Amino acid sequence: MAWFQKDDVPATPVPGATPSAAAPKAVKIGPLLSEATVLFPAGGLDKAAVLEQLVRAVAAKAGLADPGAVLAKVLEREQGISTTLDTGLSLPHARLVGIDGILAGLAVLKAPLVDPKQPELSIRAVFLFFSPDKREAFPLHLQLLRGVASLFQAPLIERLSASPGPADALALIRHSEG
Amino acid sequence: MLSFISFWRASAIVLCDLASTAYYIGGIVETAVGKSAPWFILAVMMFSYTIRAVYMESCSMFVRGGVYKVVKEAMGGTLAKLSASALMFDYVLTGPISAVSAGQYLAGLLNALFPHFRIGWHLDPGWFSVVFAIAATLYFWHENIKGIHESSDKALKIMQLTTVMAVVMMAWCGLTLWLHPARLPPLTLNFSPEALGWATKFGWLKPVGAVGVVMAFGHSLLAMSGEESLAQVYREIEAPKMKNLERTGLVIFVYSMLLTSLVSFFAVMIIPDSVRLSQYGDNLLSGLAMSVVGPHWARLLLQVFVVGVGVVILAGASNTSIVGANGVLNRLAEDGILVDWFRGLHKKYGTTHRLINLIVGLQIATILLCRGDVYMLGEAYAFGVIWSFVFKTLAVMVLRFKDRRPREFLVPLNIEAGGVEWPIGLALIFLALLATAAMNLITKKVATVSGSIFTAIFFGMFLYSEHWNERRHANAHSSEEKFNLREENDLAQIRGEFKKERRVLAAVRDPNNLLHLNKALDELNSDTTELVAFTSRIRTGLGLVDEAVTMDAEEQRLFTKVLEVAEKHGKTVTPMLVVSNDPFYAIVQAAQAVGASEVVFGVSTKLSAEDQLERLAMTWGSLQTDNPPVRLRIVGAGVEHAADL
Repeated sequence: MAWFQKDDVPATPVPGATPSAAAPKAVKIGPLLSEATVLFPAGGLDKAAVLEQLVRAVAAKAGLADPGAVLAKVLEREQGISTTLDTGLSLPHARLVGIDGILAGLAVLKAPLVDPKQPELSIRAVFLFFSPDKREAFPLHLQLLRGVASLFQAPLIERLSASPGPADALALIRHSEG
Repeated sequence: MLSFISFWRASAIVLCDLASTAYYIGGIVETAVGKSAPWFILAVMMFSYTIRAVYMESCSMFVRGGVYKVVKEAMGGTLAKLSASALMFDYVLTGPISAVSAGQYLAGLLNALFPHFRIGWHLDPGWFSVVFAIAATLYFWHENIKGIHESSDKALKIMQLTTVMAVVMMAWCGLTLWLHPARLPPLTLNFSPEALGWATKFGWLKPVGAVGVVMAFGHSLLAMSGEESLAQVYREIEAPKMKNLERTGLVIFVYSMLLTSLVSFFAVMIIPDSVRLSQYGDNLLSGLAMSVVGPHWARLLLQVFVVGVGVVILAGASNTSIVGANGVLNRLAEDGILVDWFRGLHKKYGTTHRLINLIVGLQIATILLCRGDVYMLGEAYAFGVIWSFVFKTLAVMVLRFKDRRPREFLVPLNIEAGGVEWPIGLALIFLALLATAAMNLITKKVATVSGSIFTAIFFGMFLYSEHWNERRHANAHSSEEKFNLREENDLAQIRGEFKKERRVLAAVRDPNNLLHLNKALDELNSDTTELVAFTSRIRTGLGLVDEAVTMDAEEQRLFTKVLEVAEKHGKTVTPMLVVSNDPFYAIVQAAQAVGASEVVFGVSTKLSAEDQLERLAMTWGSLQTDNPPVRLRIVGAGVEHAADL
């Protein structure tokens, strides 16, 4: 992935360099998750509660000092343009100062949640991730959004919901990624 | 889809009209002014270079820089309607004079050939040419109903053939003059009584020599009829538009100068006086073919070739006249001068078929009225063209003072004095045109009477139509394009229609914020890349499937602006409208459906560039499980964000 502003590169693609030449490799999702960050929350929770559980799990795994501040950042982003897709995936995210790589967690919901911003959409899986708040990391951030949205199509989400626990869910994700 | 033509095609369209006059101008002018005709034809052809410059300057200000638009901007609607009415007279006569002349040539050839095949027939050239002219006009009516691109193909082929004929003819005439040297035509004027018109009543004009020169110049002026088509084809010319218009102007100048002038000189120098007008007055080039050196069979073959080419180029001039008249009427219709009904698009071809029907109807009526008399048509013909040139040049001159925007092209000879740039060149051209037009009013009775009546009728029609439109639309008047909408239930269906290797989708919404579209057009190589200008109509709730495919006023305005911008660049763009409940889904679905490798957006007033890109990346991924790359660009004033996914 390449991300640039006018100052960085000519706005016009360089002759001979097609977008495919500039296109980055797809990000692997499976390695970003672990059994500790794949959750199966209990039914009856709303989206904010699920996000809180996820943030705590990811923060604990990565050793983030202030999970509350991180959650606030995620909820702030959630106030903006919707992160929920027609496929049943919600993709909350935030860009954090002080981290060097991607931190991610997944919540698989046995019972669908209603998206508070788009009540017509049901959420069946929540993929939360954090990327470094650096300009050079934004391409990776976008690539991850595309990659996760592409991977978590409705059939996979259905199968994840039916899986018995984090280990099976992780195996399923890694298998789907190939 | 809005598509554009090369300067060769544009030249061919204009030349079909301009160069075809070589076939009849010599006979008409010599009948009027005597053997000095070629000198005046040469003078007119040289003068046409200045008219080319006037058209270039007007086109540099307005993409649709025809006489109506330019005169309206400079001097208001009434004079604009008057000048457009005069121009319509020119277009309505261009078709008939060319097609009838073609019929005359064909009749002459057939009558010459019949004895060789022991056929005892003799065709009446007048009626034969009427039948032929109607057939040719109907053929090109059908071509124009199908669309300009198809018709420009034909024009190009016609001009390629004409070039071969011209080279053969010039070489053969050159050889003839080398073997049998002849003197150049005299410069003395010998007006026919008909050519003097009402001037005989003004005895004081006779001793003034310059008056005779202007009179003869006026009689020869139709040699440059066709220049006005430059403005009509400019809209269709591909980028770089002005450069290509300049090339078109140069091609048509050199070509018509050589063909029309030389042929006229050769005719007077080679065809014996005894038969030139009596036998070949209406088919002078046939006479030239039969008068060059060589055995009879070879000259007969040359005549067959010359007539064959003549028939196609003259018939092709019918095409150009229909294209030109359609362009003028379209402009008037867009401006609310013609009732909306005329702007209805043909269901299959998307052309303004009712306007084309009107033009062709008038042309066929003219053909029937003239009963095959080329001289009569020629006499009437120059009225429209000279007056439209007069109005146009005056308007361009007025605009120099009224609109001081920098132009890509200026008519030369401008002198700065007292802090003002004085358009001396334009003023001289205007004075020459005005003097000629005024003289023609006196000398060309047929032109003055028929031209005035026709112009008055058209002017009245425009006035009434405009008034009717104003009453009907009250304050809702607009100058928007008509679009030929085609409904597709599945976006994937359209992918196969894009044949170029690369596709770019530009998402448009606000007609006042098309900076990103301009940028995309700047960079666009129309030969290799399709550009889709996309907008979505956002609807929530049920019932989307049944939504009728008609554009609302806002979409109409948006796409009108999109076409204006594309025309300015001279590059092809395909407008697309999708009904959706989410703009991001709509954009991504459309981009993926057409196989876009690049999607260009304007800067949003509601979302940050990061939010826009994040949402697009998510939506792109959710709708596409494979991984073809795409570049997303957000282009604003002085800023550009891009991301390769």
